[in-house]
Amino acid sequence: MSITLSNLTKRYNNHLVVNNVSLDVTDGEFFVLLGSSGSGKTTVLKMIAGLTPLDEGRILLHGRDVTAVPVQQRQVGFVFQHYALFQHMTVAQNIEFGLRIRKVAAAQRRRRRDELLELVGLTGLGGRMPSQISGGQQQRVALARALAHQPEVLLLDEPLGALDAKIRLELRRTLRSIQRELGVTTILVTHDQEEAFELADRVGVMSFGRLLEVGPPQHLYSAPQTEFVATFLGTANLLVGQQTAEGVRIGQVDFSLAERPSSMNGNHRVQVLFRPEDVVLSARAEDLPYPSLGQGEVAETIFAGSFERLRLRLPPMPGVRPISPPVKYGGDAMMVEAMRSREQAAALPLQPGDRTWLGVRRVHPLDHPGLNFLLVSDGSPQADAAVKLGGQMARLAHARVTLLGYGQPQSGLDDYLRSAKKMMGNGLTGLETKAASGALLPAIAREINGQPYDLIVLGLDPNEHMDTVEQILQMGDHHLLLASRPSAAPARALICVADGEPAKEDVLFAGRLVRHVGAEATLLSVMKDGETEATQSQVDRFLAAGVRTLELLGVPARAAVRKGAVRETIANELISGNYDMLVMGAPLPQRDGKISLNGLISQILGIIHRPILIIRTEPGSALH
Amino acid sequence: MTARSSTHSLGLNRVAWGRQSLRAAVLAYLAVLLIIPLLVILRDGLQEGLLGFWRTISQPVAWHALMLTLWTAAVMVVINTVMGTLTAYVLVRYEFAGKALLNAIVDLPLAIPTLVTGVMLVILYGPQKALGAWLDQTLGWRLIFAPPGIILALLFITFPLVVRAVQPVLLNLDREQEYAAATLGARPWTIFRRVTLPALALPMTSGALLSFARAIGEFGAIIIVAGNIPLYTQTAAVFVFGEVESENRAGASAMSIVMLGIALGLILLVDWLQQRQERETMP
Repeated sequence: MSITLSNLTKRYNNHLVVNNVSLDVTDGEFFVLLGSSGSGKTTVLKMIAGLTPLDEGRILLHGRDVTAVPVQQRQVGFVFQHYALFQHMTVAQNIEFGLRIRKVAAAQRRRRRDELLELVGLTGLGGRMPSQISGGQQQRVALARALAHQPEVLLLDEPLGALDAKIRLELRRTLRSIQRELGVTTILVTHDQEEAFELADRVGVMSFGRLLEVGPPQHLYSAPQTEFVATFLGTANLLVGQQTAEGVRIGQVDFSLAERPSSMNGNHRVQVLFRPEDVVLSARAEDLPYPSLGQGEVAETIFAGSFERLRLRLPPMPGVRPISPPVKYGGDAMMVEAMRSREQAAALPLQPGDRTWLGVRRVHPLDHPGLNFLLVSDGSPQADAAVKLGGQMARLAHARVTLLGYGQPQSGLDDYLRSAKKMMGNGLTGLETKAASGALLPAIAREINGQPYDLIVLGLDPNEHMDTVEQILQMGDHHLLLASRPSAAPARALICVADGEPAKEDVLFAGRLVRHVGAEATLLSVMKDGETEATQSQVDRFLAAGVRTLELLGVPARAAVRKGAVRETIANELISGNYDMLVMGAPLPQRDGKISLNGLISQILGIIHRPILIIRTEPGSALH
Repeated sequence: MTARSSTHSLGLNRVAWGRQSLRAAVLAYLAVLLIIPLLVILRDGLQEGLLGFWRTISQPVAWHALMLTLWTAAVMVVINTVMGTLTAYVLVRYEFAGKALLNAIVDLPLAIPTLVTGVMLVILYGPQKALGAWLDQTLGWRLIFAPPGIILALLFITFPLVVRAVQPVLLNLDREQEYAAATLGARPWTIFRRVTLPALALPMTSGALLSFARAIGEFGAIIIVAGNIPLYTQTAAVFVFGEVESENRAGASAMSIVMLGIALGLILLVDWLQQRQERETMP
C-alpha cells in the first residue's frame, strides 16, 4: 500500500473540515479525490504532504508512519493550483531546486533537468523566467519540479483548475501519460467530475469532510450507494420507491434486479436511481422492451452535439417521491431526464408538448436510504436555535430536510421561511420549506402523513410543552430532537441506557446519527445502590456489546457505569463529562398507545438545557 | 440626433477645458513651490563657476562633513535594512500579544520631532547618564557628541522606512512558493534565504535607498546628539547651517546642491524600483 490514511480528522474552530477519513491507495494507482469546494479534499491532500497538521488519525506512506514527520522528509511531490513557481528563478533552476537541496552534483542535476523538460514537453525553455511562459507551461514546470527528486507519491491540488478549457484537456492527457509512464502513486484533487473520470483508476467522493464512497469511476456512476454521490456524478433520476421480493417497485411498475443489495431485506422504501441514458422513449407502449413508467409530456429538448437531452413531465405516481430532478415549487408533476443518440432522435423526433411513452432499461437501488429530517419552527428564537442545530446535523448526516413553518400569518411565515432557507441552504442535500396554517400538532400530523420522517427537530421548552412533546412522539415512528438554545453540532454524546429500558435499537440509531455528525459517544448506565452482582455483570455485558456496535459503526465509544440516583447521576455526568447532547430512549407506549414522559425524561428535561435526542423504541422503526 | 451630439461635444469641451486649467494650476503651484527654489539655489551655488563650486566642496571642513554624512548613512542603511526586514517579517508572520500596538509604534519616529529624538538619545546615552556612563567606563564607547551618536539618531529616524517598504510585499507574498519549497525538502532557513528573501529584494532596496536619502538631510537630531564640531561630528546639513549663520552663501549653496543631487538621484532610483516591483507583482 503506497498511501494509507486511517481516521484522519481535522477541525478549524470546532468546525469539522475532515471527518474520520480512511483510505488505502495502492502502488502506482492514480486516485482522484472529487468534491465541491469546502468538502475538505484539499485539506486531506495537505495533511498527506505534511503542510497541514492533523488533529486525529495516522498517515502511512509505503508502510512508514509519517504522521509526525515534517514535510521536508516525507518525500512527496506537490503541485499547487496556482503553480507556485519560484518567480526569481529560471525554469531550469525551479526544476533543479529539489536536487540542489539534496546536494546532487551539477552534472547529474543538469541531466535530470533535461530529462524532465523533455518529459513535460518543454525542451529548450529551461532559460526562461516563469513570467515569460504561459499558465499551462508553468504548470508543466511545476510538475517537473515536483517529480525531480523522485518522490514516493505525487500530490496534485486542482492542478488544472486555473487553466482554460483547451489547455486543460491537453494537460490532462499529459498528466495521465506521465503518471502511467513513471508509475508513481498519485492523488489528484478536483471538483471537475469529467476530469476525475478521465484520469482516475479510482475516485473518492468527498462532501462536508467525509469520504462518502470510493470506487472505479464507472462503478460510482452506475451503482452509487448514497444519494449525494448519485446526484453529484452526472445527471440522475432519483426517486423513492418500494422494495419488493424481486427488486423494486416504482408506483405500479415492478423492476426486477439481477443483484439484490444485502441491505434490502424487507418491504421498506428505497431510493432508486436511473440515468438519462437508461430512459427509452417510444411512440407506443407495446414497442417498449422495458418496464414503462407511463406516458409523459416533453417539457424541453436540448441539442448537445452528438446527442439530445430531454426533460419529460410525468403525472404524479402514488407512493413515489421524486428527489432528482427536484420538483418545482408548487408543481406536482414528476420530471425525468432522458438522453438519446442522434439516430434515436431522428427515428422519433420530439418537440416540447409532444407525448411519448417512457421505458427504463435499468434501475439501481441505493444502499443507504438516506435520512429524512423534519424541522419545525414558529420563528421564535428557541425554534430558530433548533432549526440551526437541525440544519447543521442534516448537513453532516447528508439528510434531506423539510422545514415546516407554523404559527404566523402567511406573509410573515413566507418571509421567515425564505430567510431560514437562505441561512441553511448551503450544502444541504435537499431542502424543502412548507408553510402550515393553524396549530402545531395538526400541521405535523398532516406532514408526516405525507411522508415518513426519521427525525423531528423541535425548539420547544420541554417544561412548558410536555404534552406536545408526548403527542408528537405518539404520531409516528420518528425520533425527536429537542433543543431550545443555540448549540453547535454535537461532538460528545451521552447515550443513556438507564434502567436497561431502552434497547439495542436506540443505540443503533443514535450511533448512526452520532457517526454522521462526527461525534464520539459514551454509553452510560445508572444502577441503583444495592443491585446484585448478576445484574451488574449483565449491564456490563450489554454496555460492552453496545460499544462494539458503535465502534463497528465508526463511532469512538466507551462505556460507563455509575451508581446513585438516576436523575442526578445523569445530570452530573452530562456536566462533568462536557457532553453536548443527551440521548435517551422514549418509554414504551402504554396499552392505549399513549406515550407518557412523566417519568425520568420529564425530570431530566426539567434540569438540563442541552439538546436531547429521544429515541423511539419500537420494532419496525422507519430506519431499518 | 445632431442636437444631441452637439450638446454632447459641448460637454466634452467643458470637461477638457476644466482639465487643462487644473493642470495649469498644479504646474504653477509646483513651479513656485519646488522648481523655482531649486533653480535659484543651483544658480547661487554655481555663480563662481564649476571650479569655484569644487573649491568650496573640497576644502577640508566641507569635505569631511560630506564624507561623515555618507559613511554614517551607509552604516545606518546596512543595520536598518536587516533589522527593518526582520521586524516586517515578525509583524507579518507571527501572532503575539501586543502585535497591533507594535505595528502602530513602528510609525512613531515619523511623528516625533527630530529635535525631540535627539534630546531623548542624549538623556539616555549622554556621558553623565547611567547607561551612557556605563558604556563609556566599561566598554569605552562614547556615543553622544561622537559619530556613533549620529548613526544611532539616523537609525531611530529612518526605522519605519524599511519596515513599511517590506511589510506590504511580504503580506501579499504567495505563501505557496514557500510551501512548495518545503515539499521539495528545503528547511525553514533555506526557504527564507532562497525563496522569501529574493522576493523581498526590491522592497528592501527601495526602503534602504529611502532611508539613505532621508539620512543625508537630517539636521535636528544630529545637532543635539553630535553637536557641531568641525572635522569631527559636523555633517553636511550642519555644515550648511554653519555657513548660513556666518553669511557664507556660496558655501551653503554648494553643499546644498550636492545634497540635492544625491537625494534626487536616490528618489528617481526608488521610483524606478517601485515601478519594477509593481510590474513583477502584476499577474
